[in-house]
Amino acid sequence: MATQGGIAFQEKVSRLLRGQNGKPVLKPNRALVLKDAVANRKPKKGEASCITEMSVLMACWKQNNFVDTLCSNEINSFYMCVEKAQADAKNKAAQSNIQGGRLPPKQATALLKRYPNLCKEI
Amino acid sequence: WYAIALQTSLLSFVCRVFLVRWSRYNPYYLEPEVSKEAYSRPETELSAEEKEQRELKALRPIKAATSGVSSSVFDDPVISKFINMMMEHGNKVLAREIMTQTLENIKKKQVEKYHKASEGEREAIECNPYTIFHQALENCKPVVGLASIQKGGKYYQVPIPLTDNRRRFLAMKWMITECRDNKHRRTHMYEKLSQELLAAFGKEGNVMKKKYELHKMAEANRAYAHYRWW
Repeated sequence: MATQGGIAFQEKVSRLLRGQNGKPVLKPNRALVLKDAVANRKPKKGEASCITEMSVLMACWKQNNFVDTLCSNEINSFYMCVEKAQADAKNKAAQSNIQGGRLPPKQATALLKRYPNLCKEI
Repeated sequence: WYAIALQTSLLSFVCRVFLVRWSRYNPYYLEPEVSKEAYSRPETELSAEEKEQRELKALRPIKAATSGVSSSVFDDPVISKFINMMMEHGNKVLAREIMTQTLENIKKKQVEKYHKASEGEREAIECNPYTIFHQALENCKPVVGLASIQKGGKYYQVPIPLTDNRRRFLAMKWMITECRDNKHRRTHMYEKLSQELLAAFGKEGNVMKKKYELHKMAEANRAYAHYRWW
């Protein structure tokens, strides 16, 4: 952005800091420098997966006094549901990464750290 | 001139041992393939992905295999994991001894039972200690676990599905702690382990009780299952 605006941008910033008629518009308490990191996004709270399967399994357990051999069908279906849910979560994460158009915040931070803002000449 | 001789000998010492096996590698390194069967398959049997994998392995560096794995027919990853969990202060020799003694003990007991049993019952008795170990561990694995989740200032025990690794770890941990703590102190570890493994194979014993108690807790807390968000 600075290279696009160039000198005009810097002049605008210095005019804001100096101010018109001696009164500055901006009084920054920190240096006007960009950080080498991006704020993290709050991950969306999903719903609990496989609740129906779990409740069916627990009902079966209650009926059969927690013997596992009699509930083997329910156990297998629960495991399959869990596997599917994990695969879905992985696919969803990959999809949202590709579709977003922007980089996810962790990858953006990694990239910025590799090419940081130079604050010293050495 | 004793000091001078010592100094020259110290200077002439060159490190002949170069470290090649470490536990933290660059993610660029690939995992080693230890089993012989993976290499004996002909080219035609492989799918396109597997061919790509092979080509990648020819180009990328590969991590050194740990000394715990081997390409022999007797190498079992589950048993290796159990030995590592039993090991204390890095004494792998002792842990392996205990494991072999346990398997031997199981075999002895089962063969004794086999010879004492009548003709009809003999087929039902399992003598292979490895199958007994695997079956006992399978019987001890819990199906659901509990997680402590905070909601509204309070912590609730929420039933959650567990990964396979976690379940295997819990079964092994329960087995080892139960044998260490709740048995008579003058019995050997291999004796305690063989007793507990045979009991778990027959779906009895303290480890099975622990698993059932976990299941009962999960069943009692099933109302909080919605507090999960994954």
